[in-house]
Amino acid sequence: MYVRPKAATGAAALMLGSLLAVIPTTPAQAHGSMSNPPSRAYVCKTEGPDNPKSAACKAAVAAGGTQAFYDWHEVSRLDAGGRHREIIPDGQLCGAGRDKYRGLNLARTDWPATRVSPGPLTITYHATAPHANSNFEFYITKPGWNPAQPLRWSDLEHIRTFNNQNPGTYTNWTINLPQRSGRALIYSIWQRVVGSEEAFYTCSDVDFGGGSNPSPTPTPTVTPTVTPTPTPTVTPTPTPTSQPGGTWAPGTAYAAGVRVTYGGATYQCRQAHTSLTGWEPPNVPALWQRL
Amino acid sequence: MTRPRAECGARRVPPALPVALLAVAALVAVGGCGASEGRWAREAMAERAAAAGAARGFNSADVMFLQMMVVHNGQGVELARLARGREVREEVGTLAAAIAVTQEAETAAMAGRLRDWGQPPTAPPDEHAAHGGMPETAAREIASVADAAPADFERTFLNMMIAHQDDAAQLARAEAIAGLHPEIRELAGRIDASRTAQVERMLELLGG
Repeated sequence: MYVRPKAATGAAALMLGSLLAVIPTTPAQAHGSMSNPPSRAYVCKTEGPDNPKSAACKAAVAAGGTQAFYDWHEVSRLDAGGRHREIIPDGQLCGAGRDKYRGLNLARTDWPATRVSPGPLTITYHATAPHANSNFEFYITKPGWNPAQPLRWSDLEHIRTFNNQNPGTYTNWTINLPQRSGRALIYSIWQRVVGSEEAFYTCSDVDFGGGSNPSPTPTPTVTPTVTPTPTPTVTPTPTPTSQPGGTWAPGTAYAAGVRVTYGGATYQCRQAHTSLTGWEPPNVPALWQRL
Repeated sequence: MTRPRAECGARRVPPALPVALLAVAALVAVGGCGASEGRWAREAMAERAAAAGAARGFNSADVMFLQMMVVHNGQGVELARLARGREVREEVGTLAAAIAVTQEAETAAMAGRLRDWGQPPTAPPDEHAAHGGMPETAAREIASVADAAPADFERTFLNMMIAHQDDAAQLARAEAIAGLHPEIRELAGRIDASRTAQVERMLELLGG
């Protein structure tokens, strides 16, 4: 658990109650990110999520809020289990396909980049809670990749995979960078092997120099790709979210007192809300009273 | 496997902490950082869960999910309540209020289930790393929303709630993979679906 000095001094009195409630379970945050060359998440958290310096980090915070950068070491999927390409859509690789991390996907030509050269490069992964037995895969964008375009899986070329690693807090490897010019992106996947399906993803912007840097970003519309959240691939045991018949429907504004039928029963709305999948009347007694 | 020492290092107490917090933090440090104690607690809990669970159809992933969701949901309720009386569009206020009441009821049910199973309401401090746990919304997040200027409040609130519910969906998907108990897996399915739908709606509200 990170007790941040600023937070602690700022609103200590207000926080005490919630902190007490939080304490039992927060400590061991698994996880990490690339620190060299630093990932986008690492760059923005180092700049400071509340007051970032670079235009790219400012835009990322504007697009998705600060929390992604406080949780810089959790750009992860708990349900990955090696299915990275299935669960993370093109255009969302840097943010692991998660809305929380959508700011990392911004296709910009001005993400702070580390200067690199072709040949051996020592890279460092910073893990705040290392997990034994993990596989680390490293990729680089293909020649001609345009940073002003959303990153796709097909843009990546495999460099090297280190299997069955036992990462420490800082782990170094040496990878061999191919010939490139201008901007490129090093992508990593950390897949845990034992005890969890969890995987972590990073995007590190690098610059080989002498590049035909693509024409300056026509400031990509800051609108984060509001792609409909990828339907979770792991469909858990189906709940009665199918249509069991009735007048209730998701996406409907219901006022208190309104009656609907669902699964053969009648319910009365207790509190105004717009319905949604997962809030079927029998599942949310706080919103619907069965009559 | 976790490395308690590294985790302890990250939990250094800042000098500016008031005394009351220091005391709390010290307690946590003692409870959470003792490697042997952490391991003992974890093993004891795993044994208890295994013994009780075998007979009653649940496993340690079910227990872990409930324990983590109880805390996560509680913080979500706290977050949702911050929208009360603030300058937000009616739809945002209505959604926040509905999130608060539904998660409160859900939390009570989950805590009740843990009691029925004879399981502790929260996990030992270093437990969830082993399971691939997500952090719960920290006090800092709640404070940052509470302290947002009126002009920034709605956007800050929505962004934080999106991040929070996105984390919840992750926890639910982990349960869908590793959990055993059919009702808890169903609950996880509903949590995944409802949080995912909420995030979609909140993204629309941000865009609009």
